[in-house]
Amino acid sequence: MAATDTGHGAWSIGVDIGGTFTDVVLWRDGAAAMRREKLLTTPDDPSRAVIEGVRRALDRQGIAAADLGAVVHGTTLVANALIERRGVPTGLIATRGFRDVLGLGREWRYDLYDLDIAMPAPLVPRTLCLEVNERLLADGSVVTPLDEADVVAAARTLHTAGVAAVAVALLHSFRNPIHERRVAELLAAELPGVAISLSSEVSPELGEYERTSTVAANAYVLPVFARYVERLERALAGLGYRRDLLLVLSDGRCIRAETARRFPVRMVQSGPAAGAEAARMFGDLAGTRDVLCFDMGGTTAKACLIRDGEPERTARFEVARETRFAEGSGLPLQIPAIDMIEIGAGGGSIAGIDRRGLIRVGPQSAGADPGPACYGRGNPNPTVTDCDLVLGYLDPGSFLAGTMTLDREAAETAIRTHLAEPLGISVIEAAWGVHETVTASMAQAATIHAIERALDATRFAMLPIGGAGPVHACAMAAKMNINRLICPVGAGVASAIGMLAAPVSFEVGHAAPCRLDALDIAGVGTLLAEMRAEAEALVAGAGIAPEAIAVRASAMMRYVGQGYEIEVEVDPDKPGGGGRLHAAFSAAYKARYGRAETAAPEILSWRVVASGPRPGLAGALGDGAAVEAPPPAGCAARPVFFGDRFIDTPVHRRDQLRPGQMLQGPAVVEEDESTLVLFPEFDLIVDCARNLVATRRIDR
Amino acid sequence: MDPIRIGLIWRRIEGLVDQVAETFLRAAFSVVVRDNYDMAFSLFDARGRLIAQSKRSIPSFTGTLPRTLEAVLAKFPAGSLAPGDVAITNDPWIGTGHLNDISMVHPIHRDGRLVAFAASTAHTVDIGGAPSPTARDRFEEGLCIPICRIVEGGRESRVVVDFLKENLRMADETLGDIRAQFAAYADCAAKLAALLEDEGLEDLEAVADEIVERSERSMRRAISALPDGTWRDAFDTDGFDRPLHIACSVTIEGDRMDIDFAGTSPQVRWPINCVLNYTQAYARYAVKCLLDPEAPNNAGSLRPIGISAPEGCLLNSTPPAPVWGRHLSGHYVPPAVIGALSQVAPERAVAESGSPLWNVYFTGARPDGSGNFVKMYFMNGGHGARATGDGPGCLSFPSNVSNEPAEVFENQAPMMVVEKAFVPDTGGAGRFRGGNAQRIRFRSISETPIVMTIRHERVRFPPRGLYGGRDGAPGVDLLNGERLEPKSRTVLARGDEVTFQTPGGGGLFPPAERDRAAIDADLASSLVSDAAAERDYGRN
Repeated sequence: MAATDTGHGAWSIGVDIGGTFTDVVLWRDGAAAMRREKLLTTPDDPSRAVIEGVRRALDRQGIAAADLGAVVHGTTLVANALIERRGVPTGLIATRGFRDVLGLGREWRYDLYDLDIAMPAPLVPRTLCLEVNERLLADGSVVTPLDEADVVAAARTLHTAGVAAVAVALLHSFRNPIHERRVAELLAAELPGVAISLSSEVSPELGEYERTSTVAANAYVLPVFARYVERLERALAGLGYRRDLLLVLSDGRCIRAETARRFPVRMVQSGPAAGAEAARMFGDLAGTRDVLCFDMGGTTAKACLIRDGEPERTARFEVARETRFAEGSGLPLQIPAIDMIEIGAGGGSIAGIDRRGLIRVGPQSAGADPGPACYGRGNPNPTVTDCDLVLGYLDPGSFLAGTMTLDREAAETAIRTHLAEPLGISVIEAAWGVHETVTASMAQAATIHAIERALDATRFAMLPIGGAGPVHACAMAAKMNINRLICPVGAGVASAIGMLAAPVSFEVGHAAPCRLDALDIAGVGTLLAEMRAEAEALVAGAGIAPEAIAVRASAMMRYVGQGYEIEVEVDPDKPGGGGRLHAAFSAAYKARYGRAETAAPEILSWRVVASGPRPGLAGALGDGAAVEAPPPAGCAARPVFFGDRFIDTPVHRRDQLRPGQMLQGPAVVEEDESTLVLFPEFDLIVDCARNLVATRRIDR
Repeated sequence: MDPIRIGLIWRRIEGLVDQVAETFLRAAFSVVVRDNYDMAFSLFDARGRLIAQSKRSIPSFTGTLPRTLEAVLAKFPAGSLAPGDVAITNDPWIGTGHLNDISMVHPIHRDGRLVAFAASTAHTVDIGGAPSPTARDRFEEGLCIPICRIVEGGRESRVVVDFLKENLRMADETLGDIRAQFAAYADCAAKLAALLEDEGLEDLEAVADEIVERSERSMRRAISALPDGTWRDAFDTDGFDRPLHIACSVTIEGDRMDIDFAGTSPQVRWPINCVLNYTQAYARYAVKCLLDPEAPNNAGSLRPIGISAPEGCLLNSTPPAPVWGRHLSGHYVPPAVIGALSQVAPERAVAESGSPLWNVYFTGARPDGSGNFVKMYFMNGGHGARATGDGPGCLSFPSNVSNEPAEVFENQAPMMVVEKAFVPDTGGAGRFRGGNAQRIRFRSISETPIVMTIRHERVRFPPRGLYGGRDGAPGVDLLNGERLEPKSRTVLARGDEVTFQTPGGGGLFPPAERDRAAIDADLASSLVSDAAAERDYGRN
């Protein structure tokens, strides 16, 4: 039965909290429709909007929370806490002599020529970085036993300082966690109620700076995140929900809240990763496997490349960059993640005038509260959304399915006061200027992201998601020389849909350095069996039937002397002997580097991923015939600005468009959570998955 | 060509070079390449013009590679380098100034036509010979590889590889790095072919013309914005047996700049002599940082700047001078140029940083009996204060080498890193404070003796503060708590502990102007002690 197989049960709910909106999607396996809700995020207590949205969706469908098989959730809470430095006061316990590991970093400049370069400030202030006597050698053996009195003294200092979390990162602990574990016991006794994170658990990888940075970030956000998850679980239980809450991780996989709560840093890119999962799925439905996912919400815009049906992945992640777009200027996190970049501002980003007298957009955002000027909640500054409204891209009456009315006059006043009058231009010219500025800088950043991976963005189809994605997609695509756009159903709530598309899955890593010629085959078998049991238990714990769990294993290998590994797939049941691993490694190395060396190979670590099946969402989206809609009634029209003039533009309701139907730009297609603005040089066809597929007429 | 298209192709070429450099780093066998990033990867057009370089590069290497390519082409005119050839050399006078940096050049052809050169430089920890702080000529300093083909028609030259194997202590590591670069060249050729195909280009020339001209115009505009005239800076350095002198004059005339080092001490018998190629690279680098940091670095941006130094002086030494520690003079070039130019553009002033770069070599027996190890460890000092704020603690300048994680180091040598921490009161006081220095302590846990070699500057003459800012703290070297000669070789027994304290960055503008909140933050972090706060800022 599909329902039990996916672990999502009959009805599932996906919930994505963004900086501005909270999206809720209700879906049932086999049903040919889904319910979607978009609410303003409630920053003081984000669970409020979640519960309200879940309740609304259940009521509209007429089912009870007890009927839900799964609630899958993603949130920007962790990322925002790190970017805005709103975590808890955190202490660090380091090996004697290494209190400054965070402050020293790696000592290199991410910009060769910028003498004013700014380096990221550590999450833990220097006064709360404390040292204890203890020492392991590189092989993990103990050379100085842990001085427990040091730990107790440090705990008291941290207690006096009022920390709510402690990160523990001792040298070589990824080889032998004995001291870190003992420190945790002592801290737990001395500091009841204080969250403790160990580097050997959060990120058991070589390299003290990156490992410490990762565990410090984990500790820094853990209490905030745990409190939030508990509140949410309680509220869901209050509604009558009886299953586990599932959370989406930065690599697009999802796992039980109980597991995620120990590793909140793995949630840093939770919502966007789900958006990428959604884009992968929509691309598949449209028969396109090379997709540039363009996700523009209220607060940020992101881009992710999906190549041959798989999102690009990375094990190096960076958060809270000092210089937007500059790799190396943020806090490094060693977590598995989908590779995406922030390319710019969201709809709530505030537009102003910079020192050169030019329009500048962001980085400040009006967020959900007070939100853009047109929300009428007291923000006097013009935002991207205000400009979209004035240009006719948004309809003041039908925003969020008419649940919210936008104040056009307030938007105009904001633009006039802060942009048009100081620049001596008209309100429309100023609004268009903001639109051009935003799309041009995003187009440039997305193009660079592709070329830094040596890819040509023009060969990808753009798939816009997020509330503001489809509004800006045509202008973006034209600037990037992309000629094909796929605008999926529910683009405005795609991350929430992506959560339902994410398989329940967990990755377990274990460092076990060993030369291939000295490999203990039996020992490897035991290790892999243990890792497999751990990963499977976590996945089964989320309701996946054991026979439906797929397990993949791999060895991270390199030649002795090298510093970077390549992943070599192995059979988790029969990893094979040295000969087989050597051949597999040589083939993988050759594929990556075009040559093989004669040096001896070694294994650094093993990875095991256990996954439930991908939920079969296609049923809800792909079968266009099942939602036979009435032919479009006489459609409305409104003036929309396209660069040089207003054009009286037909406005279509998306749910009235049928597969096979074609539209010529200019046109506006509205659905509840987002609006596609089809520029004059684009044509559009509705495909059988109800995607709006737009093509650019290049000959014009 | 339309400027938007140029912009996109240009960025794509830069992205390509970064990707290819990443291939090199990932396949590399040495810590000095993959953890310290002591390397550079550059792309040249068929005419030998520098087009793009990897972001993670040592600034001097990107500046010296054009001259290296020129020398390679003088020996092997373009037509004689075939597809599948790789030329190699480490001659200090056509490379980066010392034997430890090996440079290679690979021609890239398309449809039988030369379209580009991929070139790279990487540091090798050992180059054979007996390099020492007292070497008298470069013959003592190791193997010099004359320009030759290490790969010919896709096949490694046995002769060249055997020469390397027989002369280098860490041949497997060095050859591993060399072969990692072969992988990078193949990657570069494939990616460049795809790029040309996608863009419908026959070759790089039209794009290169644009890139070079635009960069040159950009640099000329920046120079024109400065008043004409000549500005000078001069200072003493630690030297070897006696202080040495660096003198620099910068002449601006319209959109041209000429930098001259007349007045600098003559070359010395000790291995701290610098070659002109390295001097030029760092002088141009300093100008670019000050005047045009945002434009990419290429042949065009280098063109409007002329650099000279009298032959036979410390910054333009002649063979066979010993040059192993050429950065001990060469890293003074940026502060000299910045010192002169900051008089014209005080709003861009930067006080001196805790460089020349510090490092230490350890050699000894591997504990598992598998032979000897040679380990080098880099240590950065405090960065000078900037006109926009404090100098960061321990940021690499003018070089750009990362530190090596202690966890990696201890895997490779029978030693422990006992401490690596900031040292309070080492940044020069000022309205903007210099960056703090760091202290690094090593302990030998080897059963057999370890030979340690150091060559450290700024022990006598600390980094200078600027415009009323105080000097940073000088560096300190200690063996078991006793002062150690900063340029020396020492044998460490098991349990011996050696301590290095790098120099602190200089301060900028008078300390009396420092913001009170900034002083409080200094005190809270313990980066400035109560006593120093009272002494320097009158805070009690």
